[in-house]
Amino acid sequence: MEELKKNILSIFNDLEIYIRKDNRMFINTKKETVLSLLSYFKNSGYDHLGLISCNDWIDDSKFELVYILSAYMANDEEFQEKEKRIIIIKTRIPREKAKFITVIDIFENAEPYERELHEMFGIKFEGHPRLTPLFLELKYETPPFRKDFDTEKYVENKFGKIPTIKERKNNQKNERT
Amino acid sequence: MDRNQIGKWLKNPGKMANKYSFHVVYFCTGCGIIEIPPSITTRWDAERFGIIPVATPRQANLFLITGYVSTKTLKAIIRTYEQMPEPKYTVAFGSCPINGGMYYDSYNTIKSLDKYIPVDGYIAGCMPRPEAIFIGVTHLWKLIDMDKADGYKRYREDYEFYRENQEQLFGELDWPPLFKNKSS
Repeated sequence: MEELKKNILSIFNDLEIYIRKDNRMFINTKKETVLSLLSYFKNSGYDHLGLISCNDWIDDSKFELVYILSAYMANDEEFQEKEKRIIIIKTRIPREKAKFITVIDIFENAEPYERELHEMFGIKFEGHPRLTPLFLELKYETPPFRKDFDTEKYVENKFGKIPTIKERKNNQKNERT
Repeated sequence: MDRNQIGKWLKNPGKMANKYSFHVVYFCTGCGIIEIPPSITTRWDAERFGIIPVATPRQANLFLITGYVSTKTLKAIIRTYEQMPEPKYTVAFGSCPINGGMYYDSYNTIKSLDKYIPVDGYIAGCMPRPEAIFIGVTHLWKLIDMDKADGYKRYREDYEFYRENQEQLFGELDWPPLFKNKSS
């Protein structure tokens, strides 16, 4: 793991790297270097994009995108060691009119993850072929996973205002009389 | 057969035949579905109560909704319920369909199911054990005897109100109404 850290630091600038539990490497980086980092790791054997996740740091008004990489049982000889390693790449993007570049060109399976982030956080991924709704049935003004989405207020307005059948019946009776 | 029940049989044979042969469509929403495999197989053996799972809603007359209902599944639930032949009974399972349960402030889970389709009985708990299903079913027998399990009749009578509620939630529905409006 230390070797890998030296290698990366010799190639890229402006990285913060720290290692936890011997097998997890956290990399904080600027958003420009994410694509080159991802393709570097893919070429060096970490060819499985496990997840793209997002944190909402509302006080800093930033979104933090998290890419989690690991290695399949590669045809590498040292796969057993690599297999246990997890590499986590973090980058921060501005929260207002959030947009980022898609990574489909490097990892094809990023497509549904990016669709989900578009739906839940409202991040626009440039170059993504179809950013259509994935899970949600209803339409929301602010995307529901953002921190400023007030769930209790939304529930009161949306579900609480639907009357029961008895109330509807009584309303109709009152209108007629 | 129990001799005491002969009177009941003669009085209303259709009802008795109905209540001892529940063909169930298990709607697998939420966590309650994990209670279904043990309850229909040998351990608790639902068949001694006349309950048997069927493949499609068109052959079923009992509808078990097991767990929370999200807005997307509510659409499927309404369509499934409307496909079932009458007489049909609905039993909602767990505390989530009653008032939202632990999803009371969720953005995507509906809070009370009986605003959208009629529910004949609730089994409360999080999650209820398989025994609770059978207690619920035997209770449903009593309700059928007393003509109180009339969800499908209510749905027929108040269909316009149910439809209005469904439309208020979803906007426009992409299927035509099941019954015609009585007023028009």
